[in-house]
Amino acid sequence: MEWRRVILTRQHERNKKQCDAFVGLIQAHNKLFESAEGHHLANAKLTVELEQLKKENLELMVKLEAGGGSGQGDKNMAQKLLSLQEELTDFHKRKGENSQEIIDLNKAVQEKEKELVAKEQKILELETSIKQLNEANENMEQNLIEATTANQVLGDEQQALQLAFTSLECKFRKLQEENNDLVSRWMALKSRDADKMNAENDKVLEQKNLKMQKELAEAAREQVNITAPTGDNMGALGTPTACSFVVTVPSRAINTLEAHDGEVNAVRWSPSGKIFATGGSDRKVKLWQAIGSKCEAKGVLTGSNAAVMSVEFNMEETLLLAASNDFACRIWSLPALRLQHTLTGHSAKVLAAKFLGEPNKVVSGSHDRTLKLWDLRSKNCIKTLFAGSMCNDLMTSDTYGSTIVSGHFNKKLMFWDPRVDTCRQEILMEGQITSLDFSPDGMVLLSCTRDDAISLIDLRSNQVMKTLRADGFHLGCDWSRAVFSPDGEYVMAGSGDGTIFIWNVMKTKVEKILQQHKHPVTACSWSITGSSLLSCDKQRTVVLWADF
Amino acid sequence: MMADDKENLRAVWDGKIPVCFTLATDEVFTAEQPEPMFLMLPRVSYLPLVTDKVNRHFIRYVDPDDHGEMWLEDEGQPLKWHNPIGVLFDMAEAESRLPWTLTVHFQRFPEDELFHCSSKEVVESYFMSMVKEADCLKHNSRIIGNMQKRDHKQLWLGLQNDKFEQFWFVNRKLMVHSEGEMFRHIPFRIHWGDRHFIQKLIKPVSADGNAVTLGDLLRETVPEILPKEDSDASSHRVIIQGCVLPPEVPLQWLSEHLSHPDNFLHICVLSA
Repeated sequence: MEWRRVILTRQHERNKKQCDAFVGLIQAHNKLFESAEGHHLANAKLTVELEQLKKENLELMVKLEAGGGSGQGDKNMAQKLLSLQEELTDFHKRKGENSQEIIDLNKAVQEKEKELVAKEQKILELETSIKQLNEANENMEQNLIEATTANQVLGDEQQALQLAFTSLECKFRKLQEENNDLVSRWMALKSRDADKMNAENDKVLEQKNLKMQKELAEAAREQVNITAPTGDNMGALGTPTACSFVVTVPSRAINTLEAHDGEVNAVRWSPSGKIFATGGSDRKVKLWQAIGSKCEAKGVLTGSNAAVMSVEFNMEETLLLAASNDFACRIWSLPALRLQHTLTGHSAKVLAAKFLGEPNKVVSGSHDRTLKLWDLRSKNCIKTLFAGSMCNDLMTSDTYGSTIVSGHFNKKLMFWDPRVDTCRQEILMEGQITSLDFSPDGMVLLSCTRDDAISLIDLRSNQVMKTLRADGFHLGCDWSRAVFSPDGEYVMAGSGDGTIFIWNVMKTKVEKILQQHKHPVTACSWSITGSSLLSCDKQRTVVLWADF
Repeated sequence: MMADDKENLRAVWDGKIPVCFTLATDEVFTAEQPEPMFLMLPRVSYLPLVTDKVNRHFIRYVDPDDHGEMWLEDEGQPLKWHNPIGVLFDMAEAESRLPWTLTVHFQRFPEDELFHCSSKEVVESYFMSMVKEADCLKHNSRIIGNMQKRDHKQLWLGLQNDKFEQFWFVNRKLMVHSEGEMFRHIPFRIHWGDRHFIQKLIKPVSADGNAVTLGDLLRETVPEILPKEDSDASSHRVIIQGCVLPPEVPLQWLSEHLSHPDNFLHICVLSA
């Protein structure tokens, strides 16, 4: 390890020799070098400054000399000064004038500016008025366009009407000719008839005379005692069956049925009151027979593809008609329970379907805003009546057989003659119409409206005769059905809270409130026997009400 | 274990050489003759790192329209900037004529003798390549490869700004060796006269387990400079870091302590 020390000392020696000897020297040199450098710079700066000062000095000298030279021409200068002063005063004067002019001009400018502002304001006003006028013009043009289009439309319509009118005129003329022809023929026939009648009359008179003569002759021969007859013949026709039953208002629910899955939309006693049918959301129509307090299922009618909305028997109880939400009506034959007809053609759900008085005719009312008449023999739609609003219920007048009444969403009752295309009469009600029913004598129409009122309309005057309302009576749906009792003394309807209200028509008062349903009541039916009631609700249940 | 003889390391780092710079007389353009400039240059540094001031001083005196890169010359010999200043000094045998007088040139760059050095980045990349080569020889590049870019930068900045602690903080990792495991090879270069340097693979421990010494290395690489057996007077001197060293110094220690910052042991061979 000696060599380490040796190396270190040699290095130190090297440094002593090469380094230490020069460090101080070189540092001093560097210091001097830098200071010399600094002095150099300072010197250069000073030289430049000196140059500048010299230059300045020179300039000053030149100036001084020039000043000294001017001192000699004093007189001249005084003269010059005088003339200059004069000039100066002249200038001052002119300056005053100029400033006056300037003031005048400024005033003029101000006036002009005022004018300008006024003009601008005017321009602004005019612009606004132009804008208004433009707008008015635009409006006018718009109006003109509208008027022109309206005019066009009216013109078109007028043309169409003209065409229709000419064709109708043509028809009318033909009919008149035909009429004339018929009248003349009829007249001829009449006259022939009259002749015949006269001849016959003559004959009869003759015979009578002959007989009289004979009788007189006989009478003259014998004396007879004659007893006078006591009365004249009674009319064979009387008011139909309805009054022959005793109508009672039951107060007990004697049976509660779970008839369908889901809503029960329709319930209906058969005309004989022996069986009844129910229709529900489960797409089925079920037939039941009420024996005492029991209800026996008689059959299930399937075939509907959607909820059944109304059911209806024909008078002979051989057919059952059901309207369905699948846009169709179906007819089953009753003893056989076979689907006989499917009447398709509506383009929306069918809310009501009824047999027309004539055999084999059916009318249906749908949400597609039409009523359709169907012929069961040809299985065709024979007529479409355009009602213009969704039909909620319809009735056919049995007594007249040909009048249809429909109740609509647009609060209108419409009266139709199936032979004519157009509505015969309209009555505007207070609310959307949910159901219709005729009184047994066919003189009063019941209409149940969505404003929770039941209106009775006298069909002779077509005026609302009575309105039945009750606290707590609120309709549960758009097709809540209300009915008359078989004698027309009572009206029965179910409320949205499940209560059933029975009104006395004569007294215009609620006769009875029946509570059994727990859900909104959709429909009810009064048996022809007068003492059994049926009602159904939105939650499967059908209740039979009776007093025995 | 690693380089631990801090006194020797410090002595190596502190070695400085007094240098006098003069501008080549035929390149003086101005009427005024430039003053010579004196500087103490660290032995371990490189010329381009310490001659900024010289450049600034002399550039004022040359033709502003006709001058190129600055280069230095010593007695007609252009100085290779890529060797450490200490090596250049020792090889110039200028010990006897201190301060070492160098001539500054701005014209006629000796293209076939010197590399161009356009900026300090060139020196940096040369220096780093030397360090990497040395580590390749010593540790098969294991250590330099594991270093981060930041460490490389610190190594370089320590050298550039003459910061001993900063430099050795990183450099000692490169000098590390365990007792059983010496350097694989000793990175060294022998500079001899005008010829190219000599470099060979020498292990610090011989096959029979003995430490290889400086004498062994010289015998292996330049046997012709050793004194003949018959005559005691040697014809050559061997100088490391400006000092003649005893031949029995082990190479491992030498490499650790007397290497230049490029991690190479620069050995100068001079005729006696």
